[in-house]
Amino acid sequence: MTSAEIVGMLLAWTPFLAGGFAWNILISLVAMAIGTVLGAVLARLRLSGRKSLARASLVVTELTRNIPTFVFLFYLAFLIPAEFEISGQIHVFPAWLKAALALSVAVVGFVSDNLFVAWQHWRNHSHAAALLFVPSWTMYLLIIVMASSTASVIGVGEIVSRCNIIIAAVGGDETMLWVYAYAIGYFFIFCFPLNWAMGHVKKRLLARVSTASSQKSGE
Amino acid sequence: MGGGLIFRIACVLAVLAILGGREALADRLDLIQKRGVLIVGVKSDYPPFGMLDANGRLIGFEPDLAAELAHRLGVRLQLVAVSSTNRLQKLEEGAIDVVIATLGDTPQRRRIATLIEPNYYASGVTVVAPPGNRLSSWADLRGKKVCATQGTYFNRPMAQRFLLDLQVFNGTRDTKLALRDGRCVAWLYDDTGIAGILNDPEWANHGTPLPSMMISPWAMAIAASEHGSRLERILSDTIADWHRSGWLLETEQRWDIKPSRFLADAHELWTRVRSDGDPVCTRLASGEWPTECRNKLLLTSTNVVGLYYIGLLIKEQTGLNLTILYDAYDRDLFLSGLWMTLHLMIASIAGSLFVGCLGALAAESGISFLHGFVRLSAAVGRMTPPLLLIYLVFFGIGHIVVTRIGWTFDGSVIATFCLSTYTGCAIVVALLEASTVLKHQEPGFALGWRNLPQVLRLAYASVVTSLVNVVKATSMASVIAVPELVSASTAIVAEQGNPAVMMNVLMITYFLLVMGVVRIFNYIECRMFQHDVR
Repeated sequence: MTSAEIVGMLLAWTPFLAGGFAWNILISLVAMAIGTVLGAVLARLRLSGRKSLARASLVVTELTRNIPTFVFLFYLAFLIPAEFEISGQIHVFPAWLKAALALSVAVVGFVSDNLFVAWQHWRNHSHAAALLFVPSWTMYLLIIVMASSTASVIGVGEIVSRCNIIIAAVGGDETMLWVYAYAIGYFFIFCFPLNWAMGHVKKRLLARVSTASSQKSGE
Repeated sequence: MGGGLIFRIACVLAVLAILGGREALADRLDLIQKRGVLIVGVKSDYPPFGMLDANGRLIGFEPDLAAELAHRLGVRLQLVAVSSTNRLQKLEEGAIDVVIATLGDTPQRRRIATLIEPNYYASGVTVVAPPGNRLSSWADLRGKKVCATQGTYFNRPMAQRFLLDLQVFNGTRDTKLALRDGRCVAWLYDDTGIAGILNDPEWANHGTPLPSMMISPWAMAIAASEHGSRLERILSDTIADWHRSGWLLETEQRWDIKPSRFLADAHELWTRVRSDGDPVCTRLASGEWPTECRNKLLLTSTNVVGLYYIGLLIKEQTGLNLTILYDAYDRDLFLSGLWMTLHLMIASIAGSLFVGCLGALAAESGISFLHGFVRLSAAVGRMTPPLLLIYLVFFGIGHIVVTRIGWTFDGSVIATFCLSTYTGCAIVVALLEASTVLKHQEPGFALGWRNLPQVLRLAYASVVTSLVNVVKATSMASVIAVPELVSASTAIVAEQGNPAVMMNVLMITYFLLVMGVVRIFNYIECRMFQHDVR
């Protein structure tokens, strides 16, 4: 295959791959949403002041930290039925939602830990330190976006599955290398600007935190 | 009046009892030898196992078995065409002596007829795929559209075990058309049925790339009343001899049937010898075959002892099918998966630390070009999904290396390399951050071999987080067929159909492994601080 042919092939399939990547983003956002809500509940319980509740929350957090998402993905794929019936109506349980649920477990642990710290800072009126939660959350979103590629193993039509479809359709031995490399490019283009921006935000916040603490010690 | 009726009924019962007793006494084998003919029921519509030739004679794999049987008994053979619905009924009526007609061995059938052990053949389910397919394992079909024919026993379990997107069609003709039109990547069907279809020139270019699953052994059958008779024993010994001599394998080959794993395995089993030179499969004092030579699916806890007994008892009492407890094959599969996962975990931790430390040292070596290069590489490495990296290296780069240089790399090596690179990049960043902090504290600080432990200690928390993550991610190696825990568990689910049990076992095992790793790192941290205090 000449390089012109390779570029032509990749361009022809670009909309298809972009559609797949949109699924990755959607799965990741849903996973973040579910994980953030549940994690926030756990963090709140840890701050509730009641020992039994705090301990229970800590145990659950510990539990979510030890569960590998890739294994959990298989767990949900095998154990949640593809269709279920509620009062005579057949509902479909889509595979992408299973993937989002599996990924959200990791988010629960992350949010529970980080929001707990941020909340304490907020209570102590160190707002800048509390706001550090925002860049960490966004960086974690990027980790989840990368992990969302594993949804392909349970048949979600995201970017990696679509790579495999293209490879099967186009054939040829070097196709694999270029299609996979191109897909990696999508992740990089999405993640790099966000990562850079959040690194910047984090630096600004950290600077504010250090000036605030030095002011305090100066008083 | 009433007394007379009772007397008459008693007389009838007595006569029936005598007749019944005489019937039981008349051995079927005596009858066959007296009449000089063995009557065997075979299929006429199941090529190449049982079919009609141009002259309307019954021929095929199973008629050959019947002929050999008659030869051994020293009688002539009469073949009778039977169907799936009437084969056991004709047997019960006494119209035929033996059924050799693609009869699957099930507990239900064992209650209504005497099924002969060992089984002489087995069918399973596989897929027909068009030429040029890239299927190499059942996992490749996960989530794909697969055509299926309505009314088969395996559609639902196969869809559940392999997460297939089944497109179910009415009848084989519709399914064939759907496959030809590309509505699905493959057609899920009985492998013995496929053998007949592939003989059709139009389908000859299609293939069956995947091994058969849900193996259902076939048994010869005789009447229920013949249980424990001489006929049963002779048939049983004959089939055992066929397995030992490899005659069934030859017959299969003669009919151009794709070699089945069942027959190859059976041949191996029946010719296996113990250390003292005796064959493994010899009749016990009770006249039964030893457990390992019997159909495992049909055993109950009363037939077995030891771990096998405990496992089957749990299954019978609770429905929990813990095959890894009692099935030696599954247990070995699971344990070797566990062993492989442990290797992957240790190798990935070591690899990640190696990449991380080397990267950080290179970046701080004072060569400005290297500093920029390492920073950029670490950023790119962290933003590459590890799964895609594994695919890229294994399929993309791996293929080019094989064709150009001729080197092949083991999947576990590639998985370890990719995971170590991804995690190593995160560790580089953590170490560089820690070194920046130290530079602020001690002017003139420069990262080198000597003070690497100091930097590692400062960055300990984030380095450990990365290492725990790589431990969890080792399961990704299953996508390139590395036989680790996830591969082993999904293989067992596929064979046994026990997803609920196996998936829970898998989750708990992983949970304990991760917890163990976290404990070890915590222990190291404690020791480190003690050291500092001293």
